[in-house]
Amino acid sequence: MAHAVLSCLHANLAALEAVLDDIDRLGVDTITCLGDLVGYGPQPNEVVELVRSRGIPTCQGCWDEDIIEGLNACECSYPSQLAERRGQLAHHWTAAQLSPDNKDFLASLPLSLRRDGLVFVHGSPNSQHEYLLPDMEAFAALERVVSAGADMLFCGHTHRPYVREFREGSIELRLRRPDSGPGQESERRMDLPVRRIVNAGSVGEPRHGGTEATYVIHDGDRDTVEIRQVPYDVERTCRAILAAGLPPPFAWRLRHGFEYAERADDASHVCER
Amino acid sequence: MARWALLSGLGGDLDVYEAVLADLRRRRVDTLFLLGDLIGPERDCRPLLERLQHPRRGELRAHCIYGWWEEQLLAERGYRGERRAEALRRESGEDAVQALLRAVDPGLMDWLAALRFGFVELDCALLHGSSADVGDSLGSATDPLCLLDRLTRMDVNRLFTARSGEQFSVALCGGGITARVRDLEGERQLRQSVPSRQVIGVGRGLQYTLYDPGTDHLDFRTAPDPARVRRRGFA
Repeated sequence: MAHAVLSCLHANLAALEAVLDDIDRLGVDTITCLGDLVGYGPQPNEVVELVRSRGIPTCQGCWDEDIIEGLNACECSYPSQLAERRGQLAHHWTAAQLSPDNKDFLASLPLSLRRDGLVFVHGSPNSQHEYLLPDMEAFAALERVVSAGADMLFCGHTHRPYVREFREGSIELRLRRPDSGPGQESERRMDLPVRRIVNAGSVGEPRHGGTEATYVIHDGDRDTVEIRQVPYDVERTCRAILAAGLPPPFAWRLRHGFEYAERADDASHVCER
Repeated sequence: MARWALLSGLGGDLDVYEAVLADLRRRRVDTLFLLGDLIGPERDCRPLLERLQHPRRGELRAHCIYGWWEEQLLAERGYRGERRAEALRRESGEDAVQALLRAVDPGLMDWLAALRFGFVELDCALLHGSSADVGDSLGSATDPLCLLDRLTRMDVNRLFTARSGEQFSVALCGGGITARVRDLEGERQLRQSVPSRQVIGVGRGLQYTLYDPGTDHLDFRTAPDPARVRRRGFA
């Protein structure tokens, strides 16, 4: 059976509506959401209410958590200190806009969802803030899948969709204990399981280099994962961003499909966590 | 040549510490690392903590980090924000928390609070648990994938850990993995080898470990039990 997985909606109603239309058109009736319903975008209440009205099972993203718990993100996730400042502005604006009922909904979201061998998280099984990037050290990435007890791990957070499969893995080791005499170390080889990480990309704030909203469709029967790109009315959201008084670079990002950063690597940035 | 001694889990027991120090006198050790759990709930920890702060003349000064028991105490005494000693409470109940509070004089808290999470020396991480958590218990039976992850997080070649109390060494010495990525730009595949790295459990109490960074030689040792030594009249 096919099911759709979406992530990082970021209060972008036009993008969410377009993606849901695409899912409905394909006749897929199971949807899972990996969180970050709010933040950056101009329609936090509308997006939360649409997800609630569709009854979409959702796990909590880092923005959802931060709106409830107060700013808790490791600010290293921002590419520059100015970007961090803009993120804080968006945080306070969103917190002021969200209705108490929608805040309660975000607070009620679980950190992970599980369906058979499929595990759904926002960032990683360790944290909503951890990025599972496509070029992350392979053994460490596989460890996240295995430690979650998953055959396939669905995540978001990076805003770039991908499917990563690990295979032909093994680890050879030598074990020594105090009672092992010289040359009596035991040797072992462990074959690693074949596992996959599927990143659903971002509906509301894509950063893959295009302006289309992205999400994925997993077909369990055919064992396929399709990365979907859905055009939507980007200008409608950009106008709403500017009308709301949110930082203009948020609109720039939507028009270009890239992170906006004054410096890609700010050496003076210090992790505050 | 530098030689390290690594110990942990003294639980406030000065007799055990002195027994290890006595055993070390014949081992040409020049650096002593105490990987946490200096304290415990079973005795007054003041004599040991004062000795660690003020070693006797000619005695090695221990480089200390905090362990799981210190973390519980620091949390319960308000040094960890809103967190409390929930792990201890869950495992052993309220009585154990109260015993721990009684075992450590509040006047010693600032010194304990200043202890570091770990050291990185010569591409070796010296920790109580792991890079994931001070309570992370790594042992000889731990999934090698988990061990490799903990090494990778610290980007070190050797990880010395104490939480499990076990003396062991697991050397990751071969293997690899193929990762295939498909995204909107296309498909690519990369084969990665297991890096040659090692996780070492240093033991607890009288059981400790000697390490020579120059030769990579490990020696798992057990100091004579001070109670048995005293009974024989050698105290």
